[in-house]
Amino acid sequence: MSALNLKLTLGPILFFWSRDEVFKFYEAAATWPLDTIYLGEAVCSRRQQLRTSDWITLAHQLSDAGKQVVLSCQALLESESDLKRLRKLVDNGRVTLEVNDLGAAKLARDAGLPFVAGTHMNVYNSSTLSLMRTLGATRWLPPVEMDRDTLAAILATRPELETEVFAWGRLPLAFSARCFTARHYNLSKDDCQFKCLEHPDGLTLATREAQGFLTINGIQTMSDGCHALLPYLAEMEAMGVTAVRVSPQSAHTAEVVAAFRAVIAGTQSADAAMAGLKGKHAGAAVDGYWCGSAGIINTGDTLHARA
Amino acid sequence: MPKLPELVCPAGSLPALKTAIDHGADAVYMGLKNETNARNFAGLNFDEKSATAGIRYARDKGRKVLMAINTFAQGVDILRWQRAVDQAADLGVDAVILADLGLMDYASRRHPNLRLHMSVQSSATNYEAVNLARDLFGVQRAVLPRVLTLDQVGHVIRHTDVEIEVFGFGSLCVMVEGRCLLSSYATGESPNTHGVCSPAKFVRWEQNGSTTSARLNDILIDQYGQNEPAGYPTLCKGRFEVQGDTYYALEEPTSLNVLEMLPQIIDISVSAIKVEGRQRSPAYVAQVTKTLREAIDTAGREMQRFSVKPAWQAALGKLAEGQQQTLGAYNRPWK
Amino acid sequence: MRVPDITLPPIIASIAGKLPATPPTLALVTALNQLVKRGVLPAEMELLAGKRFEVDVLDAGIKLRFAADESRFKVDASAQAPDLRFAANLADLARMMLREEDPDTLFFNRKLVIEGDTELGLIVKNLLDSVDWSETPLARFMAV
Repeated sequence: MSALNLKLTLGPILFFWSRDEVFKFYEAAATWPLDTIYLGEAVCSRRQQLRTSDWITLAHQLSDAGKQVVLSCQALLESESDLKRLRKLVDNGRVTLEVNDLGAAKLARDAGLPFVAGTHMNVYNSSTLSLMRTLGATRWLPPVEMDRDTLAAILATRPELETEVFAWGRLPLAFSARCFTARHYNLSKDDCQFKCLEHPDGLTLATREAQGFLTINGIQTMSDGCHALLPYLAEMEAMGVTAVRVSPQSAHTAEVVAAFRAVIAGTQSADAAMAGLKGKHAGAAVDGYWCGSAGIINTGDTLHARA
Repeated sequence: MPKLPELVCPAGSLPALKTAIDHGADAVYMGLKNETNARNFAGLNFDEKSATAGIRYARDKGRKVLMAINTFAQGVDILRWQRAVDQAADLGVDAVILADLGLMDYASRRHPNLRLHMSVQSSATNYEAVNLARDLFGVQRAVLPRVLTLDQVGHVIRHTDVEIEVFGFGSLCVMVEGRCLLSSYATGESPNTHGVCSPAKFVRWEQNGSTTSARLNDILIDQYGQNEPAGYPTLCKGRFEVQGDTYYALEEPTSLNVLEMLPQIIDISVSAIKVEGRQRSPAYVAQVTKTLREAIDTAGREMQRFSVKPAWQAALGKLAEGQQQTLGAYNRPWK
Repeated sequence: MRVPDITLPPIIASIAGKLPATPPTLALVTALNQLVKRGVLPAEMELLAGKRFEVDVLDAGIKLRFAADESRFKVDASAQAPDLRFAANLADLARMMLREEDPDTLFFNRKLVIEGDTELGLIVKNLLDSVDWSETPLARFMAV
């Protein structure tokens, strides 16, 4: 086992947690072995336990504590007030942004601010990636559905920006104008009573045969399965990936971060690290997207079944 | 009379194209027989010969043809998408509808006179996004995802000089177009990567006594009793269980229908109204085109006095998925 | 000219069901092969090769069973289950063929049953839709 040249990042909290929980989470996260912390409200404009100014203050505090910090923007920007909050983030003065919308890319570019192009920017090929570079992207995340062969082919063109892969957590799969959590409670979106607060890892949507399928997270739909790419870090490094992302969950995030750090540092095998995380994530572990099949598949299961 | 929005109708085949033109479409949109378009279904779409014939037919009647090249080039395999743009330019289409920014970049450099429309798959939901595409590539029209209220659509229009096109009728995507990976999560193939959603080759119907089960890559999407109408297992329109309740957790099988909002749509200066359904038959295209043509013209004449004729509602209601219709996101309570 | 809204009386089905289905099936496959030969039916035969089809005219009690190979359609006399089955009353089948009604609409309304290989069903539906009847003498019968 040798050490891997990979940065470890913490993605923005995609669920709705109370103000206290958020502050407690980042107080702890500041002590974890992370290279970059992303933070901000990326999903729903109604989630205001922290206001935009709170996020900016928190980002500056973490940055002062020596962390590399990135402010993540809301992915679905519909109203003028969405754009207003976005402009506030752009004007924060110090911290770079993760953009997940073309409008956000425009504002960052106009302000001459370098940015991270997130998974929802739909960069599926080398030509779109170089365009992102010219707009000011210094780092990008491929769409989560991109398989390793496609990514390897893009990275073989040696793009001049860093590549970060979404490597752990429930997969962000879709956005809607409709709030599915409010719908579940027969509430309108404008009067949602912030039911998402009651579901810190989202609401499980199962088939009528009780197979866990998706996760409802307000206007976002996620996988039920936990995308677990811990076993693939070495091949990621070999193809030119520079960073891997852990997406926050309501419990055990510290242990997940520690496991990734141990594998990157070469002090633990990926198998042992995965075994140590058993029962410490919601849903089944899946890796189908990375291996070129349906995202819901766990290729490890298939391999073990054959062996 | 106010300027009316163009009526843009789907053409999955040459007969559908001719039908749309004959029934009053101002423009039709088509795709090539490959994965460069988001209705990449076996037996559908155009080859060189039928595209040429279709463009000639439309041209002779003074109508426009748009070519949808609205999936995302994959990896380093960009050539097929670029050739599709070249082919569209050579065929002499009136515009190409593109989703991929890299491809827009290519088209604007290689074919500076080719008119560019930003596909709904580009997920441009605000004017800043639309204006970026204008500044970078000279995009002249953007198709908005079906997530904005009508007020928000108007707000976009007031803040851009790019023409705005909205959906007017057809099966409803409940998710932001271009930002939905549910299909690949279940099957490995999605609109962005393969130009398909819930592809037919993964569909399996199972009869068990009086119950029909509809599966997508083995995942149970819905079950129907004997006399219950069965639908195609589009995965967002299935019945699932959430905290012990079994229901249409994401969306009922339903169609968008904006008939009753036509005066407002005209009033806020929407440039074009799009009809979904390149996968549907010429009979569908005929009935929708005829109805919307009549309704748009009437709304333009009558504006505030406009009321929807029951015959139009009936004609469209019959064609709607699940025979249900909605104003979708244009109307706030839907959200 | 619209197809009238009628269902054949049950007596027709009971009589027709006893007649051999080969003559109408033979007529159908002969017509299909002619259309393919003349380029009217733009069939990509490789997509259909090896598949068995059944058109079940419910109120007439007639089942038309045919199959395809790489180049042509032929009567299917085997007892094997079809890969694709369309079932509807005669009037609805006529409406679909004459493009008065969209097959999806009939399907949503439970007037058309499509069973078997779903992708094959789409291929056949798209094939029927792509026939440009305006190039044939049948054009005057078509609704659109």
